[in-house]
Amino acid sequence: MNAAAERRLLEPWQDPKAAPFVRIERLTKQFGDLYAVDDLSLDIFQGEFFSLLGSSGCGKSTLLRMLAGLEYPTSGRLYIDGVDVTEVPPYARPVNMMFQSYALFPHMTVEQNVEFGLRQERMPRAERAERVSEMLELLRIAPLRKRKPDQLSGGQRQRVALARSLAKHPKLLLLDEPLGALDKRLRENTQFELVNLQERLGITFVTVTHDQEEAMTMSTRIAIMDAGQIMQVDTPTAIYEFPSCRFVAEFIGSVNLFEGKVVESSGDEVLVESRIGRSMRVRAFHPYALGTPVTVAVRPEKVRLCLDYREDGVNQLRGVVEDIAYLGDVSIYRIRIDAALPRVQMTLTNIQPRTEQALTWDQEVAIEWSPNSAMALSE
Amino acid sequence: MSTASAPLSRDSRLSRFVNIGIPYVWLGIFFLLPLLIVLRISIAEPALAQPPYTALWEWIDQGVLQIHINLQNFILVWEDSIYLDAFLNSLWVALVCTLLCLLLGYPMAYALATSPERWRVPLLMLIILPFWTSFLIRVYAWIGILKPQGLLNHALMGIGLIDEPLAILHTQIAVYIGVVYSYLPFMILPLYANLTRLDPTLLEAAADLGCRPLRAFWRVTLPLSSAGIVAGSMLVFIPVVGEFVIPDLLGGPETLMVGKLLWGEFFGNKDWPLASALAVVLLALLVVPFVLMQRIEQRIEEGSR
Repeated sequence: MNAAAERRLLEPWQDPKAAPFVRIERLTKQFGDLYAVDDLSLDIFQGEFFSLLGSSGCGKSTLLRMLAGLEYPTSGRLYIDGVDVTEVPPYARPVNMMFQSYALFPHMTVEQNVEFGLRQERMPRAERAERVSEMLELLRIAPLRKRKPDQLSGGQRQRVALARSLAKHPKLLLLDEPLGALDKRLRENTQFELVNLQERLGITFVTVTHDQEEAMTMSTRIAIMDAGQIMQVDTPTAIYEFPSCRFVAEFIGSVNLFEGKVVESSGDEVLVESRIGRSMRVRAFHPYALGTPVTVAVRPEKVRLCLDYREDGVNQLRGVVEDIAYLGDVSIYRIRIDAALPRVQMTLTNIQPRTEQALTWDQEVAIEWSPNSAMALSE
Repeated sequence: MSTASAPLSRDSRLSRFVNIGIPYVWLGIFFLLPLLIVLRISIAEPALAQPPYTALWEWIDQGVLQIHINLQNFILVWEDSIYLDAFLNSLWVALVCTLLCLLLGYPMAYALATSPERWRVPLLMLIILPFWTSFLIRVYAWIGILKPQGLLNHALMGIGLIDEPLAILHTQIAVYIGVVYSYLPFMILPLYANLTRLDPTLLEAAADLGCRPLRAFWRVTLPLSSAGIVAGSMLVFIPVVGEFVIPDLLGGPETLMVGKLLWGEFFGNKDWPLASALAVVLLALLVVPFVLMQRIEQRIEEGSR
């Protein structure tokens, strides 16, 4: 297999001929005057681990519920595996969902919970028992099979909910904040387990989360949502390194923003005259007309100390260290350039033990970044 | 925590004793004591005296105590078929009425629990409102509705459904109607309380797993409301077994119920001991199945663990 073909297999969204597994076409959901989902279109491919990421109220849960059939869209169409399921009720969709609250049936044992969906499709008893055992083994909860949900810990319940939603071998698994109720340590372990499980079973996962770290760790692609619309769909790396707009840049990770206007545009680079009077040369995805207002975005870890500061230097700033947040592995420095401006953040890895570090409070520093690690964003 | 392991101070021990003690004292005075008095009367003999029964013990000669225990009342209750029939009929009426209340009350409670929030209080008021009128007057009103020249017969004849009045009043049917009408709220309220607590995501999960709405009702809603069903059924069944007013006002000579007999023995025949014996047997009849049911429930729960 050549490199291009391999890339198409791993990243089907790159392949113009690939048929999407889930096709969301101009979907709108209105609750009264509120547009929870607003004219949204999206393609999700077979075998993806797709995350819908956004703050609460951005419409991500409503979108997921429409995929499950628990809400019906006001307008637009929805296709799963080529079939129009827009009006298909939830019990007839080839889709299962893991609920945020897990929604385990409290009057049934673990085993009965997992078996529930199989009973509905009238699977023969022997086959059913085999499938239940397989699921319980897969999620390592076989010893708990006779317990009731109220006799389980949060992590165990999460596994039961997952086993129940996987038992029917759905084509598409929807996960609503799958790790939201777990504590931090457990969450980190479970993230990797979910990814392994997804790769092993080959089921397409669509998950909703408000936790960007979780989305970054697990997803093949992420859709950033705001006010019922998608702001950007891309791989975790691309979302972080090449945000398409200011909203996405600010939503994922921390970022330093400098407003200014374009004074020179050449190919994939622009020269920006920032409001603070410093010129900045950064990447741009498309040419800009001269005078266009843009925002220059620089991630804190891309900022470094500058050893050859010049008064007319490009991508160079000078200021005073105002705050230091020591996080162990890294330290975050907040540098005051101008009293009226937000502080510029710089993250430095603590290569030396903390006590020997050069930077300290109220120290004057010069900082810089390279042109290809910053970018110009339009509003 | 050093305070938790330290022995309780005298004050806190006293307050704990008072806290736990009050309900026991209450039960002792207002439940156990009257029950013991009833038990004691049930083993006496009727007498023309004040009170109208013989003493439990008396001193004869010096230092010889004579205790009178008369089991004749219980033997009579067992041997005279009228009492047994009354017991059986009371249980039957209570059973039928409980089932009718459940069949009528469950959909009403379900509708209440699933109605929009702003409708719930007014709808609930409609269920509770009749309680503001005296129970006796409401049952009396049914005579006006059910009698041969009453509202119901007039209406049915008016629309030409029947040619001559139906004889409903003073039959067991009238008792069923009266009991179901009077006790329906006692079924609805616990069921409503139970159903409003049901997590709607469970039904979504059922639908997501391929379960149609009706099946989801049988497999999820109904089992999860079993506590409400049991509570409502108890609240209807137990008082109906001993019900006196409704069979007396609406029932006929053939509606034999323990409540009516009890009343007759107490106030008609002035046979307190026999009436007490009936009351004791009634209590035993109700308590034994209740305890058995609780045992079974407990065993089921333990078995599932």
